[in-house]
Parts: sequence; C-alpha cells; structure tokens
Amino acid sequence: MAESVLRQEVRAGRILLRAAWRAAMGYRANFLMTIMGGVALQGTQLLFLGVLLAKFQVIDGWRFNDLAFLFALRLAAHAMYVVPFGAMIRIDQAVQQGDMDRYLIRPAGAYLQVITSYAPLMALGDLLLGCTALAIFAPQSSVDWSPVKVAFLVAAVLGGGLVEAGLQTFLAAFAFKLTSTMSMRILADDTISRFSGYPLTMFGRWGFLSLTFLFPMAFIAYLPATVLLGRTDQLPIPTWLAAASPAGGLLVFTLALMFFNRMIKHYNSPGS
Amino acid sequence: MRERLTGVRGLYRAGYRSVLAYRADLWFGIAGLVIQATLTVVVWRVLYAGHDEVAGIDRSTAVSYAVLAAAIQAVIMPWQFSSLPFRVLRGQIGVDMMRPRSLISQNLAQAVGTMVGRLPIGVAGLLTGLALGGVQPPRSAAGLGLWVISMSLGIANILIVNLLVSMTAFWTLEIGGFMIVYRFATAFLSGALIPLWFMPGWLQPILGWLPFQAQMYAPLSIWFGTRDGVLGVLALQVGWVVVLFGLLQLVWRRAVHKVVVLGG
Repeated sequence: MAESVLRQEVRAGRILLRAAWRAAMGYRANFLMTIMGGVALQGTQLLFLGVLLAKFQVIDGWRFNDLAFLFALRLAAHAMYVVPFGAMIRIDQAVQQGDMDRYLIRPAGAYLQVITSYAPLMALGDLLLGCTALAIFAPQSSVDWSPVKVAFLVAAVLGGGLVEAGLQTFLAAFAFKLTSTMSMRILADDTISRFSGYPLTMFGRWGFLSLTFLFPMAFIAYLPATVLLGRTDQLPIPTWLAAASPAGGLLVFTLALMFFNRMIKHYNSPGS
Repeated sequence: MRERLTGVRGLYRAGYRSVLAYRADLWFGIAGLVIQATLTVVVWRVLYAGHDEVAGIDRSTAVSYAVLAAAIQAVIMPWQFSSLPFRVLRGQIGVDMMRPRSLISQNLAQAVGTMVGRLPIGVAGLLTGLALGGVQPPRSAAGLGLWVISMSLGIANILIVNLLVSMTAFWTLEIGGFMIVYRFATAFLSGALIPLWFMPGWLQPILGWLPFQAQMYAPLSIWFGTRDGVLGVLALQVGWVVVLFGLLQLVWRRAVHKVVVLGG
C-alpha cells in the first residue's frame, strides 16, 4: 500500500513537472535572459569575493583557492535547492488566490503540487553557475581528492540543497497563517546567499553556534568544506558532527516537511 | 504648479503606502538589514586583519562605507523598483495614460513614495552600524551638505535609469530575467557592494565613465572626503541626470506608439 502511494506520487510529479517545464519553454526569448538572471544573482557574490580577494588575499586564514571552493560548494548546493523546489517561492499567491483548493482535492500531495506548480527557469542559471564553479575550483583547492572524498562532496552538495529546501519549506509553511511570508523567505535566502560562503567561525563562537544550530546555514557548505579541507580543528563543535554534516539536510528537510503538512490544516480557502 | 503637484501627490502616497501596507514585510526588511549590517561589519573587520591600509583606504573607512552603502541601497534600490511592467502587462497602462499627468511624473512620484516608505529600513541599518562603532560621520558640516546634494543627484539618476529600464516592457512583455540582470549589474557597477577603490585598476576608469557610479559611489566618496575636485564630481552627476532625462523623454515618445492594451 505504502509503495503504491509513493509510486502514484512519483507518477504525479512527473506529469506535473513535464507540464510546468513545457509552459516555461514557451517564451524562447525570455528563456536565455532568465537563465542569465540566475547567473547574475549568484554570480555577483562570486565577483564580490574575487574582487576582494584580489586586494586582500586572505580571509580569516583562508586563501583564494579554498574560499572559492567553499563558495562553489555553496552555489552547487543552492542549485540543488532551486531546481527542484524553486516554485515554492509562489506559496503566498497559491494560498491567497485559492490555488491550494485545487491542490487539496487532486489525487497528489499538496506539497508536491506547490513545488511543481511552475518551472523555475532561473534555477537553470544557478545550476550552470554552481556546476561550472565547482568543476573549476574543486581541483584547485587544497583538498587531496580521493574517491571517498568525491562521494562525500556529492553527498554534501545534495545535503546542502536539502538544508536550504528545509529552511524555505519551514518558512513557507507559515503562509497558511500569515498573509505574506515573502519578505521572511527573501531574508533567509539573502542571508544564505551573502554569508554562507564564508568561513563561519569568523563570526565568533556564538555567531558560529547560532548559524549551526539555530539557523543551520553552516551545514550548507562550511561544515562539509572543513571536513574535506582538514580544517575541522577550527570548529568549536565535535569533529563527528562536521563529518555527519551531509546528513543534516535530510534531517532538516524531513522536519520541515512534517511541519508544512501540519500547517496545511490551518488553511482557509479565500473563496466562499 | 500647485495643481500639478496635487496630481502626483496621490501617486507618491500610493508608493509609500504600498510599503507600509505590509507591516510584516517592513519589519522583516528591518530585521534583515540589522543582521546583514552586523555580519558585514564583521566581514570587513576580518578582511582588514593584518592590514593598516588597502588601496589607500583604512579599516574604519572601509567598514563605514560597507554599512552605509548597504543601508542606502536598502532604501533607494528596492527589489520592486517600478510597477510599470506589471501595469503594461495587465493593460492598466491605458488608464494611466488617460490621467491628466504625464506617465513619467506619475511613475517618478510613485517610486519616490516607495523610497520614503523604505526609509525606516535604512535608518535601522544605520543605527546598527553606529551601535557597532562601524560608521564614521562626514568630515565636516560642509561635507554633509555636499553629500546631501550629491545623494539627491544619485537618487535622481537611479529613478530615471529604473524608469528607462522598465520601459522595455512596452517592447516585450517577458522581462523578468532582464530585470534581475539589471538589478545585480547596477548593485555592482554603482559601488553599492564594493567601493570603486578596491576594483581592479583596468575596471576603475570604465566604471568612472558609466552613469552607475554617480548613484552610490560618488555621494559616498564625498561623505568620506576621499575624492579631490568635489565640484567636478557634482558636475558629472548633474550631467548624467540631464542626459538620462533627455533619453527618457526620447524613449517615452517612442514607447507611446508601441502601447498595446490587452483586453477590452
């Protein structure tokens, strides 16, 4: 029984996704420009880092090659969030305009329908930038690459994406109670975009601990990067926790999804 | 004259009310800038560890610049900088064009209203910077006066360029991607993210001749007194406002013939 429910969800997801991407590809002219938008959005941060390091060389003991790798890891993880989950950005409209009514009566999960409601084209720009940056900067970093470390890197990228997806899902769940959650979600996204690519211990012990346990941004890129670079001795937390960081995403996302599904019960249809 | 002002005052009010209507958004905007200003101060202080001066700029100037730029950016470079593309898309532009005020003054008034509504966010960023000891006052009262003039010219520049860019909506409806590229390009080119001092040597003269540096870098360099020939800077800013406004009129005159109102 449980298996057939899952199979139905997968099938529904495939149908919804195909429709969404076909709709998005309709506007060819905007297609490339939108992807460029995605590249510009995250690329400015990379540019920022590049320009600064050309002048300052070192940030908190990290040289350009390792910082660029940390940043690339963050960009790739971000792509793992925005490509499958990017449509969540329109949750407020879905609740305010009553699209949720449709999602709740259709034979597929409401969350699945929210994240497949349209194809986030811009995310392809994130994917392009993230993969390119990782392909360029991972070999140049001081990581001594081995098959195990490559596997850890892949797990870290996926896990990092799930941390972001989890945080955003958690905030999106408030859309069933508040009129607007957009600014709250933008705030989280913006903070992650700007600061999760830095060695987070530079924000001090309490700064680091709150970015690890309160707003778990450290799991996106910094903790896995310290493991790969052998810099875990900088951390005020046990090494095993950093080593297990790729699994953090799964935990954060599962909790957030449970919370989302609980909050749906508070949904009030705007229609009569 | 008074009558003309009355006409646009309503739109100005609509602009700032659109910000204040969503109180939660405003509060999150404030919280966001407080967090970002704090983290920005730390980043720049850590960057400067082991340096007294970089590119002739000392630590406290660099930190102040970063905080002030972030606070000012939050006010004058809002994510939703124009309602024009949306109004073109929905056909409301037809109603706008029938109003007894030019579309340009309607849009400018609304954009100014939005900026005024966002002022509390900028003030919160500034106060955070002050509390952390990260903001230097201008060198003198005269410096402050010159900054006010220069900042006003910078804002006029932004308002005009924003409106120019949003007029692309008259030619093509799908401009979301283009708008995002524009937003991030101006943030970078205006010096809102990094002051021109730290840009690579080959890039500085190019940026110096673009209109964007007159939006943010020019007023802030006057605040910190790092530029000689303040009058030259102001003259260049005035020049850009005049040129851009001329361009705006030109584009608008062509756009009028392009308007297609969808629906009945």
